[in-house]
Amino acid sequence: MQHFEFYTARHIEDALTFLSEKGERCKVIAGGTDLIPALRKEDIHPDFVLNVLELRSLNGITELNHSIRIGSTVTFTEMVESDILSHFFPSLVQAAASVGSPQIRNRGTIGGNIANASPAADVLPAILALDGELELESKKLGTRRLPLSEAIVAPYRAQFRQDEILTGIFIKKLESGTRSAFTKLGRRNAMARARMNLSVILRLNNEEVVEELKIVPGAVMPVAKRMERAEKMLIGKKPETSVVEATATAIVEEIVERTGVRWSTEYKVPVMKSLSKRILGELLT
Amino acid sequence: MLKGTKKTRLRMKVNGNPVEIMIKPTWTLLRVLREELSLPGTKKGCEQGDCGACTIILDGKAVNACLVLALQAESKEIETIEGLGTPESLHPLQESFLKYGAVQCGFCTPGMLMVAKALLDKNPRPAVKEIKQGISGNLCRCTGYVKIIKAIQNVSG
Repeated sequence: MQHFEFYTARHIEDALTFLSEKGERCKVIAGGTDLIPALRKEDIHPDFVLNVLELRSLNGITELNHSIRIGSTVTFTEMVESDILSHFFPSLVQAAASVGSPQIRNRGTIGGNIANASPAADVLPAILALDGELELESKKLGTRRLPLSEAIVAPYRAQFRQDEILTGIFIKKLESGTRSAFTKLGRRNAMARARMNLSVILRLNNEEVVEELKIVPGAVMPVAKRMERAEKMLIGKKPETSVVEATATAIVEEIVERTGVRWSTEYKVPVMKSLSKRILGELLT
Repeated sequence: MLKGTKKTRLRMKVNGNPVEIMIKPTWTLLRVLREELSLPGTKKGCEQGDCGACTIILDGKAVNACLVLALQAESKEIETIEGLGTPESLHPLQESFLKYGAVQCGFCTPGMLMVAKALLDKNPRPAVKEIKQGISGNLCRCTGYVKIIKAIQNVSG
């Protein structure tokens, strides 16, 4: 590992000042489960490493009037064990539970998963489907909010400024009757990088017509995105088998369109299609 | 580019004892435990968080010591295999691993014992499924999982 200076910030102001002075020569570390392997492989060579794990304002899951705030250093284990999240966003809890191993979940954080923007990140699609917003703080701009969908536009590169720290994630409470689900396929249960995952939010109205639908596949595309074309096929309709089938087909078509045909496409198309049918089926029963 | 080898002070508690040493910021907790504090019971396996051989308990939670920068352990409480039992008085998990033959080559054993301790501290009566999930981040290269699971089950409840 190439030498760097290490600084543990005790107050958010200290962290913001440190980062604004060091700029791109500084990397922020939280759980370190992605960063430390990258440092060891010398994929990155920061001169400074800023530890944000001791910042209180980055901890904790808080219920607000219309939304939930998840501090950026909340670990996957804390998400899995959170009554608030289980109640409001079960799909996010399922996504957090599918990350790595118990040891990784005890250490890895939601903020790190977002800032690292791995194409195989498990919680990204779940938060995208929930329309999550990031809370970013910097010395220069103060606090601002940025929708996750705008922050993640390229693999491994979240669109924050060099002097910004991701301090929290806001997710609006869902309208009553909205259901959410997450499913993942990996090579081994623990530790598996997701080969494919899928997050879906769905709400039916009183006449059993689909009123709201958000579908976000993960790990199959360089950047997780909503499948708006597929969503439109089901919105405003009764979810009959043929419509669900057509929606699943539209999901895989859109994925192939974005990624092109690869060696793995022959495998991924039928598997993604059945995952889509399975998760929509679960949400509709 | 910084080329210094400047050392920084680290204070933490290891197996109940206060420790204060000078270390380099690039050192992981694994390296500090094994090479600076002469606690080689924590094993160095894959060094990327896949194998679990370096599992220790940090403030009550099982983590991979290879994925913790040592300076992040400042003021924390660390438990390693050396603190689990003594040759004269083994920890119940250690007794059980011996009884059930859950030790073959022994390389994964410290990590397995620490992850099992963390599991039982939190959930004294885990179901077999929970034990399996609990050790899912630990690889046994002898593939002796069945006996390891039995040994943990025997201590629980």
